Amino acid sequence: MKKIILAALLALGLQAAQKELVVYNWSEYMPESVIEDFEKESGIKVRYSTYDSNEAMYAKIKTAGGESYDIVVPSTYFVNKMSREGLLAKIDKSKLKNYANLDPKLLGKPFDPKNDYSIPYMWGSTGMSYNAKVLGEGAVSAWSDLWNKEFAGKLLLTDDLREVIGMALLSLGYSSNTTDPKQIEAAYNKLKTLMPNVKLFNSESPKGVYISEEVVVGMNFNGENYMANTEMPELRYVYPKEGVLVWVDSLVIPKGAKNIAAAHAFIDYLLRPEVAKTISEEIGYATPNLAAVKLLEPETAANRIIYPTADDLAKSEFQLDVGEAITIYEQYWEKLKTGN
Amino acid sequence: MKLSRFARFSIALLFVWIVLFAFLPQIMVLIASVLSKGATDFILFEPTVQNYARLFDPIYLQIFVDSLVLASVTTLLCLIIAFPFAATLARAPKAWRPLLLILVIIPFWTSSLVRTYALIALLKTKGLINAALLFLGIIDAPLELMYTQVAVFIGMVYTLLPFMILPLYAALEKIDVRLIEAASDLGAGFWSRLMRITIPLSLSGIIAGSMLVFLPALGMFYIPDLLGGAKNLIIGSFIRNQFLTFRDWPFGAAASMLLSLMMLLMVALYAYAQRRERA
Repeated sequence: MKKIILAALLALGLQAAQKELVVYNWSEYMPESVIEDFEKESGIKVRYSTYDSNEAMYAKIKTAGGESYDIVVPSTYFVNKMSREGLLAKIDKSKLKNYANLDPKLLGKPFDPKNDYSIPYMWGSTGMSYNAKVLGEGAVSAWSDLWNKEFAGKLLLTDDLREVIGMALLSLGYSSNTTDPKQIEAAYNKLKTLMPNVKLFNSESPKGVYISEEVVVGMNFNGENYMANTEMPELRYVYPKEGVLVWVDSLVIPKGAKNIAAAHAFIDYLLRPEVAKTISEEIGYATPNLAAVKLLEPETAANRIIYPTADDLAKSEFQLDVGEAITIYEQYWEKLKTGN
Repeated sequence: MKLSRFARFSIALLFVWIVLFAFLPQIMVLIASVLSKGATDFILFEPTVQNYARLFDPIYLQIFVDSLVLASVTTLLCLIIAFPFAATLARAPKAWRPLLLILVIIPFWTSSLVRTYALIALLKTKGLINAALLFLGIIDAPLELMYTQVAVFIGMVYTLLPFMILPLYAALEKIDVRLIEAASDLGAGFWSRLMRITIPLSLSGIIAGSMLVFLPALGMFYIPDLLGGAKNLIIGSFIRNQFLTFRDWPFGAAASMLLSLMMLLMVALYAYAQRRERA
């Protein structure tokens, strides 16, 4: 009897698996309407859950195994880490009719030279935001401006060691992807002098903190600034002179995913110009989809927060995997947070 | 003693539960804590004591000290606030007491994480507290409450207060009122009655309440993170970081073992104190 019940449950589970797609994405990174439309059109049920750091996502995929998810959206350097560790399945590009829509400039990046494992979903930057009503227009233009003594206790930094140390490295004229322990130490020493200005670290929802005026200046993601502007038009986004941190988040299929066919269908759906356009307009990050860029409302396409100019991106850097040097970054991050 | 079937079933269930969800995981943590970290694997099967040795690095010791201070101050604040609270409860008319106790417990029906977010709505610069104080003309400029140490203590005390109130109430309620009346008749003032009768007789409640507040306070990382702005590491957030962010499971496991050991020591002290009290 027990066996029969078990078999029945398994069969039910299998059936559900065929019609279900499990998506694991960053929080506030895909409009609900996009998922609903996909469900209606394809008859595939989407189970959607979110994370707020690459590390948390990675730990889950690594321990729970790929079979728990069909689509995940790691950032730049986590794509090469995960593919190197054999956690990703190859993507069959012949099943993606809309692949040609993608901007060649965002394909073939060092973290996945042939895009065997990853399809760009959105790209954006980590720059600076400031409240123009409180500080006046043009209050900050460079990372080094954050060290201004007037900003004591008024600053937000993201809660991400690569970004915060990377920002300090850029302010010193180094690369944010350096593996040189001396340069990382110099960045730490510089950050130590920034701490009196820091009110909080937050990556989960910086926009809420800016809107409630807990802080008036600091680091921010471009999309968060864009979304905050509906409630707070005076929040300005700045591409710092020393270079902005740029990242691409890519759609990947974990090795062992249960529903590879549906995962391909979903990726292809997201690559449709009109779908990519909706996503970009609602969440405020840039789409790598050239066909979608053409469809954008002129005001969105001209919005420098979402679509920076070539000048804005001068000296910008993509985040890359720093390999074993990450432990040096981690040590200084802990030191910074214990006030040593 | 012959146990009913139900009693035997309950004990077996409890036993299985503890073995499966407390004992075995703890053993796994212990094993992980003496293994090494791999570049691509969370755990390599190479025994080492390096993880424990690293804990004595001044940076990490500082984290332990900071956490102990945070937990101690929280416990003390809870005690100071909960004592009069519990005493009032224990002296309230008998018919009211169940209702009052339920009111103390009701907040537990909502996740403490959700309640912490609710506290943000109260404490933030444009929050309810500042709005009310500004409206009443008590302050001219909003108070800076969020992302300060004050906010952290408000959050910690708010979340853990019931754990102090309930054992204190249980102890205070048992005190024979006639003892206090007798002392009063014999000329003992308020402080004298408190120090020589009420506190000694409620000592078991004070110790139990302090343990129930102190131990969780050591591990509660989301309150300092959310209300304090993630500026200081405490043991809880440190362990979480090792597992989730830095992927150094063996080191996180070693820190977790040290924390468990500290807690075990305190529980043992408590048990010892109780035995002496009874003897």
